[in-house]
Amino acid sequence: MGVALGAGLAVSIAGIGGGIGMGVAGGKAFEAIARQPEVGGDVRTLLFITLAFIETLTIYGLLIAFMLVGKI
Amino acid sequence: MLFGMLDGVFFHLGPIPVDHIIVTEWVIIALIGLIAYFATRDMQMVPRGLQNAFEMIIIWTYDFFTQLMDKEHVAKKWAPLLTAFFLFILLSNYSGLLPGAAGISGYQPPTSNWNITLTLAMITFFSVHIAGFAEHGGHYLGHFVSPSWAMLPLNLVEELAHPLSLTVRLFGNIFGEEMVIAFLLFMAPFIVPGAIMGLSLLLGAIQAIVFTILSASYIAAATGEGH
Repeated sequence: MGVALGAGLAVSIAGIGGGIGMGVAGGKAFEAIARQPEVGGDVRTLLFITLAFIETLTIYGLLIAFMLVGKI
Repeated sequence: MLFGMLDGVFFHLGPIPVDHIIVTEWVIIALIGLIAYFATRDMQMVPRGLQNAFEMIIIWTYDFFTQLMDKEHVAKKWAPLLTAFFLFILLSNYSGLLPGAAGISGYQPPTSNWNITLTLAMITFFSVHIAGFAEHGGHYLGHFVSPSWAMLPLNLVEELAHPLSLTVRLFGNIFGEEMVIAFLLFMAPFIVPGAIMGLSLLLGAIQAIVFTILSASYIAAATGEGH
């Protein structure tokens, strides 16, 4: 019971943080591209790298959730 | 073995069990190799067909990595490895979406096993330091004590966190996606998993691009000026 709850909380809390972070980063990137369309390619590459870093933290939560589910 | 489901072992090669994952990898490597062989078998000055497509890929990737790394000779040296990463990861991610793949027991795409992604990340890890030493020689070690000696432990932890995050990102994404599809197939066998499968076509490509770009930016950081 506790383990299942922990698995759910691990992935959901990690998802909240990652979602907020990705929203901020993506929104700012779109703003930058809309303001200066000629730097679109550079901004897109940087956005991908940033999103990958943010996503990693969420994936750590997912990994912990899988490990906890594997323990049940 | 936590995440490496070892059922469906075909035969043993010495101490190594050859299972679905290794056979899938062999098929992917053979596929890329065969296409590359047929593309370059009868090369012409004015390319057509397959050779044309491959020359387009090569030029596009060289341009992209040159722009990312700022140094053309470094980009030329490492672009083949990075492009190979991209093609291999892309085909591995997509191999889980083949029709009928879910019906084979023990089948999973190679990148959804953390042994495979750790291997790819270790190749990146060693490539980064080899690239750094090849570019700067002994001065490369100064990179670890910048801006001061007090930062040495933090820099070392950062270097070790790179392969860990590369491993976990690729493996977690593909494994999670496979789990979601398996769960949906179990809940609603028709139509509903199609939506997630369409999404995972996009995800597989993005993860391949992200792994390649991050490897390229680690190499760029190791070979760049500024330390």
